Amino acid sequence: MASPKTVPKDAQVMMQILKDMGITEYDPRVINQMLEFTYRYVTTIIEDAKIYSTHAKKSNVDADDIRLAIQCRVDQSFTSPPPRDFLLDIARQKNQTPLPLIKPYTGPRLPPDRYCLTAPNYRLKSLQKKVSSSAGRITVPRLSVGAVSSRPSTPTLGTPSVQTVGTKVGTPVSLTGQRFTVQIPSSQALTVRSKAPTPTTPTVQNVLINPSLIGSKNILITTNMVSQNSSSDSTSLKRKHEDEDEYDAL
Amino acid sequence: MTPLLSAPGEKMAAVQDAPMELDSEKETKPEILSDGTSNLSGNTASGTLSSPPLTAGGAPKQEDQQTLIAVLQFLRRNKLTESVDILRREACLEDQEDSQTLDGSGGGKGDGDGGDANSLLSRVSIASAAAPQSTLTPIPVKNDQPDVSVVLSAYSQQGDPSLYQVYYTGLKNFIESVLDCHRAELSQLFYPLFVHMYLELVYNNHETKAKAFFEKFSGDQECYYQDDLQILCGLTKKEHLKGNEALLDFRTSRFVLRISRDSYQLLKRHLQERHNNQIWNIIQEHLYIDIFDGMPRSKSQIDSMSGSFAGETRREVNKAKVFYGLLKEPEIEVPLDDEDDEAENEEGKPKKKKTKKDSMGSKSKKQDPNAPQQNRIPLPELKDSDKLDKIMYMKESTKRIRLGPENLPSICFYSFLNAYQGLTAVDFTDDSSLLAGGFADSTVRVWSATPKKLRKVKSAAELNLIDKESDDVLERIMDEKTASESKNLYGHSGPVYGVSFSPDRNYLLSSSEDGTVRLWSLQTFTCLVGYKGHNYPVWDTHFSPFGYYFVSGGHDRVARLWATDHYQPLRIFAGHLADVTCTRFHPNSNYVVTGSTDRTIRLWDVLNGNCVRFFTGHKGPIHSLAFSPNGKFLASGSTDGRVLLWDIGHGLMIGELKGHTDTIYALKFSRDGEILASGSMDNTVRLWDSMKAFDDMETDDFTAATGHIPLPDNSQELLLGMYHSKSTPVTHLHFTRRNLLLAAGAYNSQ
Repeated sequence: MASPKTVPKDAQVMMQILKDMGITEYDPRVINQMLEFTYRYVTTIIEDAKIYSTHAKKSNVDADDIRLAIQCRVDQSFTSPPPRDFLLDIARQKNQTPLPLIKPYTGPRLPPDRYCLTAPNYRLKSLQKKVSSSAGRITVPRLSVGAVSSRPSTPTLGTPSVQTVGTKVGTPVSLTGQRFTVQIPSSQALTVRSKAPTPTTPTVQNVLINPSLIGSKNILITTNMVSQNSSSDSTSLKRKHEDEDEYDAL
Repeated sequence: MTPLLSAPGEKMAAVQDAPMELDSEKETKPEILSDGTSNLSGNTASGTLSSPPLTAGGAPKQEDQQTLIAVLQFLRRNKLTESVDILRREACLEDQEDSQTLDGSGGGKGDGDGGDANSLLSRVSIASAAAPQSTLTPIPVKNDQPDVSVVLSAYSQQGDPSLYQVYYTGLKNFIESVLDCHRAELSQLFYPLFVHMYLELVYNNHETKAKAFFEKFSGDQECYYQDDLQILCGLTKKEHLKGNEALLDFRTSRFVLRISRDSYQLLKRHLQERHNNQIWNIIQEHLYIDIFDGMPRSKSQIDSMSGSFAGETRREVNKAKVFYGLLKEPEIEVPLDDEDDEAENEEGKPKKKKTKKDSMGSKSKKQDPNAPQQNRIPLPELKDSDKLDKIMYMKESTKRIRLGPENLPSICFYSFLNAYQGLTAVDFTDDSSLLAGGFADSTVRVWSATPKKLRKVKSAAELNLIDKESDDVLERIMDEKTASESKNLYGHSGPVYGVSFSPDRNYLLSSSEDGTVRLWSLQTFTCLVGYKGHNYPVWDTHFSPFGYYFVSGGHDRVARLWATDHYQPLRIFAGHLADVTCTRFHPNSNYVVTGSTDRTIRLWDVLNGNCVRFFTGHKGPIHSLAFSPNGKFLASGSTDGRVLLWDIGHGLMIGELKGHTDTIYALKFSRDGEILASGSMDNTVRLWDSMKAFDDMETDDFTAATGHIPLPDNSQELLLGMYHSKSTPVTHLHFTRRNLLLAAGAYNSQ
């Protein structure tokens, strides 16, 4: 630490504050950080206060303006947890409902798919330029997926136009039945391994797995294929960060 | 006057006195009140007020007007119609309409303006650890509430500020003159009185006087309050109080003191002899004195149990029945010869085959009276894989080493190298095969602690190709190409402060500073769910011993109970005054224990969210908790370096283990509960003889009546071993199924 003689006055104040609060060991850069924070905060407050005082057509900025500025900023930048009585109140409400019963034999117990992070967070761009590939799962028709699915229904999705859940569900593939959809471009999906850590789903879409396997091992992949795949294609509410531009460049 | 308004619907600490004299009130009260309050003696402290009567007829000042309205409302609420009429007549008040004009500020005590409409009264009535009083709803419906709170805040000043020093010194002299045996108990008064008087001075804008008061008397306080005093030192203005939730709660909740009856009589007699006894007012308003019949406690006894933010615990808070017993294990037959003949049965119907009966389950068919019902809370059913796990567990437990004072466990230390002080959380699976670390750079890393590597499940295309009927299909679904010693899990956006494996080793939970708890799959090593609920750092998370439920606690001062298939919490455990730093499930999954920065430990019932136990005694934030395997006892460690042992059934502290010199972050009981291992930041692991510590204590209803039992100072005898690491603080401890102790920490090179 620089000797007190050469340290600017503000930094000395910071050092004194730390000492008063009983903090003896700290990185020297902490002082700089605190100074930066102080300058930024005070400047923001004073600027806000100036705005308020001109709005009130006062000639000078006075304490009320500052107080108002602080109050407005406090709710924005320095949120604090809710007050105790509020917490007690919501706790009371929440704790009144009885615990929900647990359904047996349901495989991995996860929330509804829109609350999970298991949906694919990208969609593929169609390679065919002339086909309008607005919504829906962009697929390359007639791409032989071979081993992916043994059901002959797959190739029926010949038309690359919008394939939403509704149309696809007609071809149930999976043993668990309800949530499987058939997707053609699974082979594409295999190759396009996106950046997110989550999308195992696109790669395991057309899996036929022994039902007994599901029960015993609760392997995620079986039940979470989810029509989420298709339902979230165009919507993909959570996946805003997928970069379509990147695919455009492909 | 203040005690009158401060305790609607709240019991005072058995204080029923003859009306007292109070003078020098700032506001004026009509003398009629003394008649009215005698009717209230059942409900409130009987401090009645006599003060110079209202100047006859003349319109009172605005403040007085407010006060009168407030008093009127209070009387009306308590259905004292006669008093209301008399008061109205005497004070020449027209009608209720006045209250509308007095807009007041409506805020709580903490701030005079705006804020939410939660009134002071509601805060004051929600004072203790118990559920809030039902007389006042937290969100006031009537608009007379704001007035009352304004008045209250005006009244919070007990007299002339410059005399506070005199009062305090007077009390000090008195207590010093008292007999030794009472002095220790009465000295408990110093700290709460000091803080409340200081806060009142600050709140009423007597800054210089507050500072002088602080300087003069802060040095006298107990050493374990120094941290709080340091925070108080920086609070010199009313505005500073506004944002500080903890202090606001302190101001409105009641500091609990436990004093023996004799000492209490002494104090009362002294304070009532004097006429200007502001101290008595403050005591009545802000303190709750839990009187017990018995010997006055010694200084060391008091010291061991005090230190929490809001005083000690009232005895009645710890009276609820707690089912601390373990759930009955389902009977599973262990085959004598491995692999084949794994026949499992449900409870109570043993099949006669060439198998050995499961000795883990309870022999008797009778229900343990202290154990909860099997279906008290819904628990997931046992799957085949779980039954296989149980069989493995039982096989391992037959090979378990019996530990004891003569037979100490070996300790295997896992040092995290190159972690650059970024290791913030560690967990082991129950069978010690996997190890997870949470880091400050927001990653979670899972290692395999056995020679077997970690593999991901194959992709869909490949899974289709495997032979599904083969016996080793569970091996075939794993992708050998992805085998590695460790796997990184990315997803959090802040340091990961808590990790927890699920009992079936399929899931991993991690909680982070970004306010979310993430569920990761250990088969695909990807993130499955992000549970958002805390909007503030989540300091700890823990899976239930049966899976499916997990609990998390964070900066927002609540702990939440979640189930993996609900995106919102099922239960919210609110009551702590500061952050919840440590959360653990009881072995029977019916209770959750939380330790907090307010230096208290609370035990919550999962079924209805009630706080059933409240333990004070630590002098610093609590960072580690451990249940004994039989579910009866709890051990807790905090930054003060002490490990405290608690009897859950009776709600008492039964042991204190001193020795560590720094924060204790790891506590674990051995598999049969004979040894307690503690690991701390002072780079040591200590082993304590918990069997002896629990046996020595006789706790029955008689000794537990006073709320405390004398603790022997036997830390030295109970210490079985102390093991130093070179410079690696111990972050986590884990006993393997065969009672080998594993420890984990990050090597700290400086």
